Amino acid sequence: MSWEKLQSTQSNVVKMLSNSLKKDRLAHAYLFEGPRGSGKKDVAKVLAKSLFCMNKNGINPCLLCVHCKRIDSGNHPDVHFISTEGQAIKVDQIRHLKKEFSFRGVESEKKVYIVEDAEKMTVNAANSILKFLEEPDGMAVAILMTTQYHRILKTIVSRSQVLSFAPLIPERLVKKLVEEGINEGDARIVSQITYDLEEGIQLCQDNWIADARSKVIQLIDEIYLRPKYAFITLQEGWMTFFKEKKDMQLGLDLLMIWYRDVLRFQVGHHEQLVYIDQQNKLQDQSLKISQRKLGSNLQAVMNAKRRLDANTAPQLLMEQLLLRLQEG
Amino acid sequence: MKFTIHRDQFVQSVQHVSKAISSRTTIPVLTGIKLVANEYGVTLTGSDSDISIESFIPKEDGDLQLVEVEDKGSIVLQARFFSEIVKKLPEDTIDIHVTDQLVTTIKSGSSVFNLNGLDPEEYPRLPEIEEENVFKLRTDLLKNIIRQTVFAVSTIETRPILTGVNWTIEDGLLTCTATDSHRLAMRKAKVDTTNELSFTNVVIPGKSLNELSKILDENEEWVDIIVTDNQILFKGKNLLFFSRLLDGNYPATKNMIPTQSKTGVTLTTKLFMQAIERALLLSRDGKNNVVNLKTLGNGNIEITSVTPEVGKVTEDITTNSFNGEELRISFNGKNIIDALKVIESTEIMIDFTGAMSPFVIKPIENDNMLHLFSPVRTY
Repeated sequence: MSWEKLQSTQSNVVKMLSNSLKKDRLAHAYLFEGPRGSGKKDVAKVLAKSLFCMNKNGINPCLLCVHCKRIDSGNHPDVHFISTEGQAIKVDQIRHLKKEFSFRGVESEKKVYIVEDAEKMTVNAANSILKFLEEPDGMAVAILMTTQYHRILKTIVSRSQVLSFAPLIPERLVKKLVEEGINEGDARIVSQITYDLEEGIQLCQDNWIADARSKVIQLIDEIYLRPKYAFITLQEGWMTFFKEKKDMQLGLDLLMIWYRDVLRFQVGHHEQLVYIDQQNKLQDQSLKISQRKLGSNLQAVMNAKRRLDANTAPQLLMEQLLLRLQEG
Repeated sequence: MKFTIHRDQFVQSVQHVSKAISSRTTIPVLTGIKLVANEYGVTLTGSDSDISIESFIPKEDGDLQLVEVEDKGSIVLQARFFSEIVKKLPEDTIDIHVTDQLVTTIKSGSSVFNLNGLDPEEYPRLPEIEEENVFKLRTDLLKNIIRQTVFAVSTIETRPILTGVNWTIEDGLLTCTATDSHRLAMRKAKVDTTNELSFTNVVIPGKSLNELSKILDENEEWVDIIVTDNQILFKGKNLLFFSRLLDGNYPATKNMIPTQSKTGVTLTTKLFMQAIERALLLSRDGKNNVVNLKTLGNGNIEITSVTPEVGKVTEDITTNSFNGEELRISFNGKNIIDALKVIESTEIMIDFTGAMSPFVIKPIENDNMLHLFSPVRTY
């Protein structure tokens, strides 16, 4: 990755950061905010390399020197990379971070801290690093990354410079995925879930996304055609397929995309449909369901997603969701 | 890289550098020991990024050939496996050979290990040593200095800079200060410097100093000490100890130390310490360490401690000399004991400057040490 390569996707962010680098006026804390796969991590890494690289060409790192190589491999002693262990950023990790804040660098004065999924810090953890964000000793740059800007403490936001990463246009990814030999139906679904090409390709491997898609369509069918059997399908098909919490979130995403498609069908945005091969069913449902009901269905799915994050039992959560979707 | 090495020497070096290696590191390459072979011998390095230990095995020690280097080079090997392997190898010599793909063959007698190594390029660079800014301390003195200051560092992280000991050199005088903002320990020592060396605000983490003290043998050899921008280096014979420094400005402690005294007392160290230890017997769980001290007018002092739920203790102590105003003061007895333990003097001098201001304890025999305490407000 280099600044030029990133320029094509995140021109605003790259412009701001490269100007700051040129004028040597970097802020001491940045908050990178934007959806998954929009290139936050790549930008953070290139920024770290630009700070440490020994053979810089202007602001561009050489990508070949020991510093650049070690930043890539995670072995640079002055670049600290913190990401979630399991579900949250652990107290130990924050303690480590705080300790590193108070030490001078190992090899030079400069230090860089990169925190992935910063919203996963507990309120206590976030509060305890406030002081360091505000007045770092020495030449330290902290980069916090998040996909959920609104969940970051206001006190952190106010102490850092917020850079918003624009979501990429889904059509671009669809085109790229199709070039990779993935069929358009799957590609469209994937492009709604992620912006990252590699993650997209991974999802398409082993036909996971195709299977997930048919599970969703099956469940929708049951809800409308045979409401009594929906719970059995849920038990037999859905719960066994979406075992992990992460998978379940994706499943709910797919469900949400379906209702959005129905809504799009109603208002006549046919070209933006995601489930392109299901036009008949979409048309059928768009005639039967009122816009108001569609809205409340979408709301119900979103609620379910949020509660899944808050560790609600998946079984109960899905059953409740089905009841909500079925009610008049 | 290819070399043959004496086992005993090698095992000892591996054990030395292993002390710096932590299993809970976020930097993968630091789980390994770095080996470098060149025409002078073999260097081993272990690090957890806070401290780094380097051990050098020279080609020859007197008449004994320790290392035979066939090919120069370097490699990083997983410390966990490597240190166990070398300890258990059968013969007196070990062959180590690195092929192109970082695979390392360790051979001793008929046993052969193949270990996958890590790229030595990934290993952190230790600071380049400039031989100009060097000063020397004898090992036993260095250990003493550490013991007499490091106990006073702060253990709470609210002010990280206070978790270290501040070293300064001015006019050939080394001053080491540690404080947790309730008490302060200061130790001074004359040092040999090569030239007009002076520095301030070199704050060494207390943890690193404790480690250093453990590694140094009790002997009278000299240790070279070199300060760089980010790290401090202690260089003994064939052993290098690096520690990172703390970031930030150490608070100015010079003008906190009172210069005049209102009440001066000299006491026998042992008597005073035992009296305070007795007074603390009633304090529960070390929570209430408050000891009250009162002058009795006849040159004696009275020490009392009260824990309302438990009871009260009173003890009179005869002073060796007394001058100045009468006084009543309360202080944290635990802190006083900590300090008295490291004062190697049979008699101490206490200078009070009033019931609400800090007081100083000094040894009588010399002037290189000073302990400052804040009183506790009890009414």
